[in-house]
Parts: sequence; structure tokens; C-alpha cells
Amino acid sequence: MNRKLIVIAFLFLSVQMFSHGNLSERILIKTIEILENPNNYRLYYERGFLYQQHVDYEEALADYVKSESLGNSNKDLKLRMAEIHYLTEDYCNALAQIEIYLDVDSIDVIAKKLEAKILFKLKAYEKSIKAYRYVMNNMIDVRPEDILEYANIILAENNKNYEGALDVIEFGLQELGPNTLSLQLKKLEFLKEFGQVENAIEQYNYFILQYKRKEFWYYKKAKYLSEIDKPFEAKIALKLATSAIANLDSKYQHMTSIIELKDQIKNLESLNNQKL
Amino acid sequence: MIKKSVLLLLILSTTLSFSQTASNQVAIEELNAAINYVNLPKETNSIAVERGPYLQSGTPTSVVVKWRTDVGTESVVNYGTQLSSLSKNETNTTLTTEHEVTVSGLEPNTKYYFNIGNKSKVLSESVSGDMYIITAPTAGTKQFVRAWILGDAGTANNNQRNVRDAYYKYVDAASENTGKTDMMLFLGDNAYSTGTDVEYQNAFFDIYDDMFKKSVAWSCLGNHDGKTADSAKQSGPYYDIFTFPTAAEAGGTASGTEAYYSFDYANIHFIILDSHHTSRDIGGAMYNWTQTDIQNTTQDWIVTLFHHPIYTKGSHDSDTEDRLIEMRNNFMPMMEDNGVDLILNGHSHSYERSYFLNGHYGFANTFNPDEITSGGHTVGATGSGDGKAEGDGIYQKTNETTEGAVYITTGSAGKISGGDLDHQAMSVSLNKLGSCVMEVEDDGLGGQNLTVKFIRENDKVDDYFTINKKGIALKSKAVTHKSDVLSYNSDNGLVSIIVNTNERLKKVKFYNNIGKKVKKSRKAVVDVAKMTKGTYVVEIITNKNTYTESVIIE
Ligand SMILES: [Fe+2]
Repeated sequence: MNRKLIVIAFLFLSVQMFSHGNLSERILIKTIEILENPNNYRLYYERGFLYQQHVDYEEALADYVKSESLGNSNKDLKLRMAEIHYLTEDYCNALAQIEIYLDVDSIDVIAKKLEAKILFKLKAYEKSIKAYRYVMNNMIDVRPEDILEYANIILAENNKNYEGALDVIEFGLQELGPNTLSLQLKKLEFLKEFGQVENAIEQYNYFILQYKRKEFWYYKKAKYLSEIDKPFEAKIALKLATSAIANLDSKYQHMTSIIELKDQIKNLESLNNQKL
Repeated sequence: MIKKSVLLLLILSTTLSFSQTASNQVAIEELNAAINYVNLPKETNSIAVERGPYLQSGTPTSVVVKWRTDVGTESVVNYGTQLSSLSKNETNTTLTTEHEVTVSGLEPNTKYYFNIGNKSKVLSESVSGDMYIITAPTAGTKQFVRAWILGDAGTANNNQRNVRDAYYKYVDAASENTGKTDMMLFLGDNAYSTGTDVEYQNAFFDIYDDMFKKSVAWSCLGNHDGKTADSAKQSGPYYDIFTFPTAAEAGGTASGTEAYYSFDYANIHFIILDSHHTSRDIGGAMYNWTQTDIQNTTQDWIVTLFHHPIYTKGSHDSDTEDRLIEMRNNFMPMMEDNGVDLILNGHSHSYERSYFLNGHYGFANTFNPDEITSGGHTVGATGSGDGKAEGDGIYQKTNETTEGAVYITTGSAGKISGGDLDHQAMSVSLNKLGSCVMEVEDDGLGGQNLTVKFIRENDKVDDYFTINKKGIALKSKAVTHKSDVLSYNSDNGLVSIIVNTNERLKKVKFYNNIGKKVKKSRKAVVDVAKMTKGTYVVEIITNKNTYTESVIIE
């Protein structure tokens, strides 16, 4: 009993080194439970998951391994182990674990997505795309981040495949709504990168027409126009930016973001004027 | 050593109290619910409403009504402006237990009574008229607004109920808009310990049932909600329970996800972020969305909510935890530069409320209470005070001084968890149970006051502060445009070009807002009456010069 108290006291001291509040308390509770049931694989798994959330990956993996050695054959353990390996950039082991998981459950979208990400890191791009395509087609709630990631994987596989990447963005806009900001922004980025000048300008115009406050979009468009040697068009856009700012309510005139934008406009104007 | 083990036991007991529900109290709640709401005549083959109705995604013209039945049936919402005559209805004939009905075509700022049921009968109604939708005012409207703010509420125990009851008493006794709560703002961790559907039933629906029937609930994702929300198909209870605008249905910018979104209510813009699952990187999807969203609003007030606190020394530490540091370093500079007024966070189970701040992104010990004009982190003469009219004076924002925001970490609506509670940026730090109420009202001088009060579980108001914004009524309006070379009269729709006597006008060209040339003229007076309204750049070319002007055609 006395010994246990010392252990508990020691654990309490160590909890002060943690910083994640409730999580460290729960790890501590789990540890006490493990002290009482040292052969219960469920407890190691649970503590491992707590460690994982606490970003203590080494401890998490040790608990998962222990859990497995005590007979835990649940597939979720494999998913967690794959996650840990992925997070610690041990992609080969991550792949090994996720494949075991997918052998048992080949339709789990989360596992499939992790597989795609692992394959991407292993530069197995074609396989990664295949896995990601499955995720896209089966996930109920696709998020813009998933679309962006998928598009990046497609470009990683073939950096000239801008049509493929843009197709993914269009698919995302269809799924998530035509004005989804992060996707429209990525579309702009792609169009610029792939030198589709007219489409890129159109895309700037989309933002200008879509948004109530246009000053930032006018400026961004002017910057692009100036960069691609369309100084006259850039001048018009800069004038529109200045006009938009002048017509904002007076509080914006003193807001840091607008003061900075005014400076940027001034700088670009003098740079652009040299090209006129 | 002994003392520490006692402390440990205390920690354990508070942690374990998550899982305890006072069953007696639950029984009383159910009894009360039965008294207030007539839930159908009981028949052997009757259908029972197990959850709700509750209101989601309120806009000036629509609201989403959700509820759950034990047996699959149709979804019907009957509604009308008179309790005695709910003559309109919205019906969905698909049989379901999870009902979600969008009632649209409503008038802004209008009270509609409603009940719910299926095609054959009403399943839940309030004979006393306590089930209603008040639509949001049109964006930009200046009027009294009250929001109830709850952080880390979901313990399903008496702490949570006491905090709730204190607010109910407060709002029922309020002198302004008595009994009216325009919205509920949940700061995440709404149902411990993993945000399962059952936990949501106990800690969320069973607790706030009365309020959910008359006030729209909004939320951000907490780490405990996130545990089950990240399940296989990227959905889970949190996302199933809540319906948030993803396509800017309630104002703001389309995010394409319910994880982060924005909405307008009256003249307030609300930005809801996911500090838990979503990448907090600068240039990430959520960051880009937030920047675009905040730079697109013209609302008078900007309020943001997310779970992980910018500043805390409570049960979490904003100096050491990655999510908290990332939100502070990545999001706050951008949001402050764009005029955010109030930041609402939870996660630490305490109440910590800052001074009137700007530009404090470092650790607690780098906080400098001096004014920003002297290199410190507070704004204005009252910025380092308590923000109280009766104390050091209220915080002040003007059209000239646009900086300044108050940060509140308020995660004690269900439990308290202590901590050092000594963050230097905080004006007040309390290890007390409670929730917050935000009220925006006219100051009688053409501006508005935004006041937040911390209402304890014992009904006491332990802290409050006010931010005043001057000049809200005074909007700069450029109806006519005049410069040296161009003038525009919106009455007759004419643009007049004035060139120097020694210059001769050659050409006038009009470019629209996407830079397309839309009109050419050689005359000094140009009829623009038929041109589409908007901003134009006018290029005026004389034999000696080219002038570029802009004009807004109305
Ligand atoms: Fe939390």
C-alpha cells in the first residue's frame, strides 16, 4: 500500500511536467489502472491512444506494441500503429500496418486515406492516386482540404498534369459548392502556374465580382498583370483598388490591413509606371 | 508526499465526475419538459420525439429545424406569426428518424411560432408559445443583440445545470429584450468525454432543450467533440447534430466545410474556426478562408470563436501547447489587423478575460501593459484597465483607433479545473463555474456598446466589461464624385470632363471593375445613366496628357 502511494506520488510529480491538462490526468489514471491490471491489452491500447493525442509518439508506439504482444488483434490497433509510424515519418512500417488493416477492412475511408498519404510519401504516386480516388468517391463529407491534397498528389505524380489537378478542383467545387474559397484560390494558383493567362485573369475577375469588398482582389490582380507585362491593365486595376479603399467606411482607412495595402499599391504603382 | 497524493485524489475525483449524471435531476428535467411541452397524446403505436426540435443555421429568411423521432416518419413543420394559427408548413415526405427541415421564405426579424410532427399529427408543440423562430435581422441592422456563450459545458451534471439556470434567471429578469436570447454560442467540448450521440443527448439536448426550441445554436469543434467527429467517413455525431452554413448561406464567405464557417447577425460578423482538427498553418485552407472572410465583411463588429484559447494559464497553458500557440501566432496577427473585436475560447475550465489588447503574440511573461503607442500591448487610455464604466473606464474603439480586442477563455460552463490562473494579459482570472452573455446595444451617441458579463452558477455577475465603438451611425458615403478633371452627378447621370484651357480633350474611355473597356466618347459631357452601377476607371486623354480617374456610377 505504501509502495503504491509512492508510485502514485511519483506519477503525480511527473504529471506536472505534462502540459495538456486533462489528457495528462487521463494518462495518469490509465497508468494506475495498468499497475493494477498489467496484462490487460485494452488498457495499453487506450493509454497508447492517449499518448498519441498527447504527441508522445514513442510512448504511444511502445504501448501499442505491448498491447499487441498481450494478444490484441483488433484492427484498430493496426490503424493506430500505422498513424504513429506515419507521424514519425517511418513510412515503410506505416504501410505494412495499414495494409494489414485494409486486408481486414478494405472499405474504411479513413484507413484508405492514410494509405494514400503513406504511398505519397513513399513516392508511389500512381498507387496513391488510386487510393485517394477511392476516398473521394466514398467519403460522405469531403472537405476542401481533401480536395487540395488530392490535387497535389496528382501533380506530384506528374507535374505537367495540370488538367488532372484542375479536374480535381472542379470536382471539389461541384461537391462542396461553387464558391468554396480555398478551392477557387487553388484554381487561381494552378492557372497562374500553368501559364493560362486569360483563365487566370478570368479567375481574378471571378473574385472581384463575387466579393463585396474588392480592394484586396484588385491589388492582387494588378500585381499579376504587372508581372505578366500588362502594365496598362495593371494601372486600371490599381486605380480600382485605390477607389475601392477610398469608398470604404472611415474606420477601414485606419485599419492596419488597409494601411499596408495602400503601401503595397503605392509601391506597385511606381514599379508598374516604369513599364508603361 | 501525502499532501500531493491527496491532491491527486482530488484531480481524479474531478475527472471522474464527467461520467456521473445525477439521475434524480434528470428525472426532474424530464418532468419539467413534460409540463412545458405537450409531446403528443400517448397511444400504443404513437411516435415519440426523442430529441429537439432545435434550431440551426438561422438567417434573415430561413432556419433549419431538426429533431429525432423513435420511429421513421415524415417531417412537418407548421409555422405562423400567430400561435393560434400556424397556417404555413414545410413538409418532407421521406420517412426518417433524423428530421431536418429548412423553413425558408421568412421575413427578417420576425417571430414565427412553430410545431413539429408528421403528416397525420403534431408530435411536439408548446401551448404556451415557447417554441418559436425569430429570424435574424438583415445584415447591417443596428439593434440590441444578446448571445449566450457556453464553453466546455458538456458534463451533464449539476454544475452544468446550475450555470444554465443562472443564465435563464438572468435573461428572464433582463430589462432589455426580456427573455430573448438571439443565439447560443458553444465553444466546443459540448459533451464529455468523447462527444458520442448518447453523451450529446445527456449533456446537450437534455440540458438546453427549452432554449433550443427558441434560439439558434452555433458551435465550434472542441477536442472532446473531435474524438468521435473524426470517425470513418469524416462525419460523426458533432457533424450530424449540427447543420452549419458551408456556402455562405448566412452571410460571409463559402468555406465548403462545417468545420469552419461564418455568419452575420444584425451588424455583427461571427467567424467560427476549428482549432482542433484543421490545419492552423498560415496559407492553409482555413487561414486563407479566414483572411478572405474577414477582409470581405463590412459589419460593425467582428466576433470569432474557436476552442483552443489564445491566452490561458488555467487547466491548459497557452505558452506550451501547440494548438494554442499556432492559433495565436498564425491567426491573431491577421485577424487583429483586420479589426476583430472579441475572441471567445474555451478548453481551460476557468474564466480568464484579457485587457484591451493588440499585438501580443508571445508568451505570458512578454506581455507589456503599456499602450501600443508606447510599445506595449494595450489599446487606448483605458486599455490596461478593467473595462468597466464604474471602474477604470470602458474600452474604446473609434474610426481612428481601430485596434483593440478582448480575449475571453470561458470554459467553465460544466466544470472548473483550476490552474495557476496568472496569465499577465488577463484582467480577470477566476476558477469559477459560469457562462457569458454578450450584449450589443446603442450607446445613445451614435455608437454602440458591446458588453460581456460572466454569470456565475450562483447567479452573481463576477466580471463584465464594455467595448464602445464610436461613429457606427456615421458612414462615409460617396454619392457624388468630384476631382479636378471629372465630376459626376447621379441626378442627371452625367459625367463632365474638365480639362485645362490649354489642353484639348481627345478621348474619354470607361473601364469597368474587371478592367474591360465599356464606353468611349469624345465629348466633355458623357451620359452614363444607362451604364451598370458600379466602379469605373475613366481614362481621359488630351493632346498633352492622360488622366486616370475613378467614378462610382449609382
Ligand atoms: Fe477542450
